[in-house]
Amino acid sequence: MTRTAHVFFLILAAAAFAGMPAHGSMTKEDLASVEKLDAVTIPMPGEFFTAMGKVGQPAWGQYLRSGSPGVTDSRSMIALGLGTLVADGYVAVEAQDGQAIKNIGKEILALAKKLNVSQSVLGRSNSIADFADNNDWNALREELEATQNEVKLDMVDQNDDRLVTLVSLGAWIRGVDLVSGMVTTEYSPAGAKLLRQPAIIEYLMAGIDELPESARNEAPLPEIRAGLVTSLPLVEPEVPSAEQVANLNTTMRALFDRINGSAPTP
Amino acid sequence: MKNLLFFLLLPLCAAMAQETPVAEEVLPDISARSLALELAGAFTNDGYRLRDGFWPGEIEPGRPRYLEVNLFAGNEYWFCAAATPPARKLSVSVFDAAGKRVEFQSYGDGASAAAGFEPDISGKYFLKLDLLEGEKSPFCLIYAYK
Repeated sequence: MTRTAHVFFLILAAAAFAGMPAHGSMTKEDLASVEKLDAVTIPMPGEFFTAMGKVGQPAWGQYLRSGSPGVTDSRSMIALGLGTLVADGYVAVEAQDGQAIKNIGKEILALAKKLNVSQSVLGRSNSIADFADNNDWNALREELEATQNEVKLDMVDQNDDRLVTLVSLGAWIRGVDLVSGMVTTEYSPAGAKLLRQPAIIEYLMAGIDELPESARNEAPLPEIRAGLVTSLPLVEPEVPSAEQVANLNTTMRALFDRINGSAPTP
Repeated sequence: MKNLLFFLLLPLCAAMAQETPVAEEVLPDISARSLALELAGAFTNDGYRLRDGFWPGEIEPGRPRYLEVNLFAGNEYWFCAAATPPARKLSVSVFDAAGKRVEFQSYGDGASAAAGFEPDISGKYFLKLDLLEGEKSPFCLIYAYK
């Protein structure tokens, strides 16, 4: 038995003997005091894809990104595009395609340079290439999230906090676009259940609403916000129907295509 | 043996903390985050993947902290938290979107604690972090999933 297995069983044994805490509910005051933190409250696409991988056996290779984000000078668009790239990085990891992940790493770096947040990403980009060469897929998952988090930290340091929300927004749109597409192709209640994430949409809408007016009204954010409003009722049921999933996919695909300009999508 | 030693030494460290207040600068390398990472690290070789994001802050007795997380049905989660002295006993618990406590596995060892949870329904949940014994202290929470 390995040392980690020892520790793992120690924890499980302790958990078994710890007993459940007394049953109870949160008070109104407790609910009002709940905190939200982008880095923990919003799941990464990899977490989404792990759940999807349990439901079926997606042919991840079919979903590899085939184009780059459209060329733009808009910092908002670049941040959104960067988020979509991170999501596509996880697809490449699930597909275990080392070259695809290296290409995505280079594209992330290129966008980070445009946002002047490339210093911390440079090292990460090299690590991504090394891990890809060594087929270390778990390390790549961690590295992708770490890359995204470092980009966000740099944005905060540069008083570009608004871009943080947009990176998360881009990643979520691409993740839902992909998973809803998979579930639309082969509907299953178990797959549809994964899409039930209304709180994330509410969080992202609130993030857009908190942006300065000029940023909030910059294209394509009004369009994206409208798409989120359309999506919200589709992801509220415990098990969205096949029709709801298809409608969700249509909405998210349109938003993804809008973010990426004329880039072809798989 | 590093992880095992860590778990064996934690209660000892907690006991020492009760008897002799230790100034934080005496143990500069033991941060709440590294303690939480040690705890979560026990799961990674069992196929759990560690989130890079973490929840740092301060916790004091009688003033629990709550955090929203959004989880996926079918995934298995361990939420791992640790606090540094003068914290002595910490707990982590899980509530659904309505604020009702859900069934979860509970682990606690002094100022380190974890909650294991496998949701049947995707969506919003709340984590409660409570300092049961000790004084106001820095904490960190991270989570692992598979």
